[in-house]
Amino acid sequence: MANIAQLWGRRALDFVDAVERLSAPGVIQLFEAEIKACGFHAYIMAGLPSPGTSLSDLTVANGWPPEWFELYTRENFSVMDPVPKYGASTVQPFEWSEAHYDKESNPAAHLVMTRAAEFRLMEGYCIPLHYDDGGAVISMATEQLNIDPVAKSALQLIGVYAHNRIRSLGRPTSERALLTAREREILRWAADGKTSWEVSVILRISERTVKFHLIQASRKLNAVNRTSAVAKALARGLIKL
Amino acid sequence: MEVHVIRRDNRHLYADILEDYFRLRHRIYVVERKWMDLDRSDKREIDRFDTDDTVYLLGLEGRNIVAGMRLVPTIAPTLLSELFPQLALNGPVRRPDVYELSRIFVVPNRRGEHAGPRAEAVIQAAAMEYGLSIGLSAFTIVLESWWLPRLLDQGWQARPLGLPVDINSMSTVAVIVDVNDQAWTEICSRRSVPGSMLVWQGLAAVERRVIGDPVPAI
Repeated sequence: MANIAQLWGRRALDFVDAVERLSAPGVIQLFEAEIKACGFHAYIMAGLPSPGTSLSDLTVANGWPPEWFELYTRENFSVMDPVPKYGASTVQPFEWSEAHYDKESNPAAHLVMTRAAEFRLMEGYCIPLHYDDGGAVISMATEQLNIDPVAKSALQLIGVYAHNRIRSLGRPTSERALLTAREREILRWAADGKTSWEVSVILRISERTVKFHLIQASRKLNAVNRTSAVAKALARGLIKL
Repeated sequence: MEVHVIRRDNRHLYADILEDYFRLRHRIYVVERKWMDLDRSDKREIDRFDTDDTVYLLGLEGRNIVAGMRLVPTIAPTLLSELFPQLALNGPVRRPDVYELSRIFVVPNRRGEHAGPRAEAVIQAAAMEYGLSIGLSAFTIVLESWWLPRLLDQGWQARPLGLPVDINSMSTVAVIVDVNDQAWTEICSRRSVPGSMLVWQGLAAVERRVIGDPVPAI
């Protein structure tokens, strides 16, 4: 027992060291090799479903059979699937069978699990990840789950570091690079309560240009108007009072 | 919120606050989190890792404690060496330039979203600032594993020391986090921490590097 813990421990720590130097395809390749060694033939890494987002938008890495992914997306299974639903409610990794649902009262959940089995996705192990800006899951599938608890712990680390590496590679090099210097400057004046016209006088540019920059900044910040853009820029530390 | 550095050399200035602090820890860890092993008849949560060598970082607003954490030198007994040695594959870290962080908390009414930087981020940025100031090279932390993605996501380089283990049915893992300028700049920029937070009251004699603004002004 101690030996297998040593073995899996080394393996997980080696993985952690290795991914730090890899690009996204390299991380995925190494991750796939590790989960395959534990008997998983398919997996997905995706953000937790929320209204208005499709699975393809949320997917970080896709190792589902293509036909299953296509069916899942087309039928909007993500809203019925009991696995991500359970993942949203727990911080502990779990087996799919722990994501309980009642066949009678929740036929939609049962449908997803039944259709999954047709693609040899019968049993699985799921690692929930909770970030400040929302949750994600890594869900791995096999025909028959027969995995040592120590290997599960190793997969937990491997999953966390694979996901985090891919996530950080997709991050802009600097948060501040999100907005241009001009956009920040104009938001800073807007935060002081200046109108577009007043800003245009201060900066000696046209009012139209001021509005243009405010719209650009609002779009980048996902803000609906200038007040919201100012609030979001402040909260993210992009401008200071 | 200002984060005060409290250590052997200036403890006398904080006698009342430390008294409040140990009572607060009882409320958070015994009453709220139900770690009943820590229960004591005097309702102060204080253990063998609270020694003269322990450093406390307390986030204060006036006299009120908002957040806190303690740093224990790893050349002395630590949670990792004494309580959770199974979490470190190569044995516990024991180095003069590495401290173990523990009892990281934010008082209940200051958790979750607020305007401005969150207390949780401020206290962690303060730990990084402290480490940089006095020249530490790393922190070790024993933490619930679900915290690990967030730790990494704030731009900290955290390497596991071993595999996660279920302790009291919570997956728990030990990590070592590098102390460097990048870790401080990243947590400040990603978590909207405006910059230096530490107050060194009564510690003028401590040799330290002065830490400037983490992000260049616009």
